[in-house]
Amino acid sequence: MSSDLTFSNVSKRYIVRHEVDDDATKHPWIRKLNALRKRKDEFWALRDVSFAVERGETVGIIGHNGAGKSTVLKLLANITAPTTGEIVINGRLSALIEVGSGFHPELTGRENIFLNGAILGMGRREIASKLDSIAEFAGVRAFLDVPVKRFSSGMYVRLGFSIASHLDPDILLLDEVLAVGDAAFQEKCLQRIEGLRRAGTTIVFISHDLAAVERICDRVILMRRGEVAATGKPRDIISLYQQQIEPSRINTMKTAVEDDRAVIQSLAFLTPSGLRPSVFHTGDPLLARIDYVAHHEIKDAVFEIFVRTGDLTEMCQLTTETSGSTINLPVGAGTLEFHCDELSLQPGMYHANVCVKERVASEAINWQYHAATLRVDPGRITRGQFYQSNRWKLLRAAHSGPSAPNGAAEVERAPNARRPSLTPTS
Amino acid sequence: MALSEADLVAAGAGRDAVPRRTKVIRPVAFSVRDLWAGLIGLSAYTDLLVVLSAHRLKIRYKQSMLGIAWAVIQPVALMLIYTLVFSVFSRVKTPGVSYAVFAYAALLPWTFFSTSLTNATNGLVSHAQLVTKVYFPREILPISYIVAALVDLLIASLVMTGLMVYYHVALTPQALWLIPVTLVMACFTTACALIFSAMQVRVRDIGMAMPLVLQLWLFASPVVYPLRQVPERLRDYYVLNPMVGIIENFRAALLGSPLDRHSLVISTVLSVVLLPVSYLYFKRVEATVADVI
Repeated sequence: MSSDLTFSNVSKRYIVRHEVDDDATKHPWIRKLNALRKRKDEFWALRDVSFAVERGETVGIIGHNGAGKSTVLKLLANITAPTTGEIVINGRLSALIEVGSGFHPELTGRENIFLNGAILGMGRREIASKLDSIAEFAGVRAFLDVPVKRFSSGMYVRLGFSIASHLDPDILLLDEVLAVGDAAFQEKCLQRIEGLRRAGTTIVFISHDLAAVERICDRVILMRRGEVAATGKPRDIISLYQQQIEPSRINTMKTAVEDDRAVIQSLAFLTPSGLRPSVFHTGDPLLARIDYVAHHEIKDAVFEIFVRTGDLTEMCQLTTETSGSTINLPVGAGTLEFHCDELSLQPGMYHANVCVKERVASEAINWQYHAATLRVDPGRITRGQFYQSNRWKLLRAAHSGPSAPNGAAEVERAPNARRPSLTPTS
Repeated sequence: MALSEADLVAAGAGRDAVPRRTKVIRPVAFSVRDLWAGLIGLSAYTDLLVVLSAHRLKIRYKQSMLGIAWAVIQPVALMLIYTLVFSVFSRVKTPGVSYAVFAYAALLPWTFFSTSLTNATNGLVSHAQLVTKVYFPREILPISYIVAALVDLLIASLVMTGLMVYYHVALTPQALWLIPVTLVMACFTTACALIFSAMQVRVRDIGMAMPLVLQLWLFASPVVYPLRQVPERLRDYYVLNPMVGIIENFRAALLGSPLDRHSLVISTVLSVVLLPVSYLYFKRVEATVADVI
């Protein structure tokens, strides 16, 4: 096995220029003069990074924002040069960094296929021979002669990915490609990537979607502050990464509001049978368990859990406030459970904050931030923001009469029926 | 899926039959070897240059009523203005040929040069989205504007043919000189485009100054007046402007008047020296352009 990609002691330094002196008391001319000599700061995005990717291997790179993942990809894609070190690339390399970034709105779909294909390194003949297939995969065959400014955003993204996936590279770089489109399209992308992988393409995959990383990667590199923190099997490295963001004990986390009347000791996401899986799937039943200790008697208490994404968007809230019943906590330890029949969250990593308060008071008695991490993998395939649990019913047309047997079929999904899992690769 | 599994596997099997190209990425260095490596890299992307140049032409004329006629309107309008100013209001002597033909013959190369530079200077900056996302040899961006301007030059030349017929100017075998002169002009324009577009990434003043610079440059070149009218004692300095030899000889070749070999040699030497230097400079800037743009 020879290495297709080799990173040898690569470092990358960025010079950050600051606009200084926004002191409004000074004369504007003096401020302008000062702005001419901007303060320069060095920022090392990568420090002495070395690794190799073997031929046919699929390697995932994970890490927090700012850990250096994207810099590695930009260096591999030759978009920017390293400050020190050496990178050796053995074969035709294609980078898929942002889908559809080379599109021109005024040009038609067909013209954009040629333009984008050429930008990605395809020859005109190669594109011409793949034109039908590209349009077919993207589902835009009927719109080939329409300017892409008239395309829906979905068509735009599909066409972009379709062109890129028709490249025939030896080495493919993927950056957060799957962050675009809906779940069904993401699934299609993943299948395409798995196809390329089986065909022997070397793939470097950078993603926050840990489920996708675990599914398609042979090996994972964990980056931390511009350095390689760990390398190994996907399952091991992902759980190492999760341990970094998941506090092992809740009291290591800072508590925003200190009030000694009650303390939340832990929050756990469990299966209905009480098991603690590392992963949930969209549509799974879920049990959220809060352990607390009340040091004083608390009348009419309210428990709340806030589920947030990594970028702190609030996704949903579980609360006892609107349940209509009253919770009075006696002194002592206790447990409160929220039961969710079907998890509506789309795949991703979520953090949960938890609090307990009195209904009448505006201040919480106890807040716990990042009390637990919830990892959701694809389960029920659904488009849109969240999975809406549902039942459906087929009604016969009116003329067939109400007396017909089985006139209405009512179907309820079995709680654990999920899409068939994809065939594992050998 | 568009490609079947079998296709993919077949592609994978065939892949190792072809020897792979090995690329080594190192920190920025400034060496002549980079010149060669750059040209090899560029040769793999000739199709992109063709597609992108065609794209420039298409885009320019989309949603415009006059379309491709704009390639003609600009030099013709300038020709009319200059004819009015320099042959009706004041008299510039152009022996043996009408001023309109005289001016248009020089406006052809000048319009090529100024349009190329105006567009190409912004070539990198206006494609920041692309430059930070995908790799391809970045020089293709400014060069594609030059190729598009070359097509405009051909279209605008059709009007020249009409003018020559109207004013009874015959094409002589000397017109063959148009080929080397145009070649020198393309070299010089490319060199300027590479330098300015690379500088524009860091210092946006370049783009701001460009209209003014081109205005001055126009009057520092023999477009509206013949080279002979430049005072003898200034001429040695005057011909150091490569556009002098290019424009004077482009017109001479077209109208069959005597060539000015002295200025042509100077233009050729300067262009041939400047082009590789500008390319190396451009490649050096290119290496970290995505960080700065």
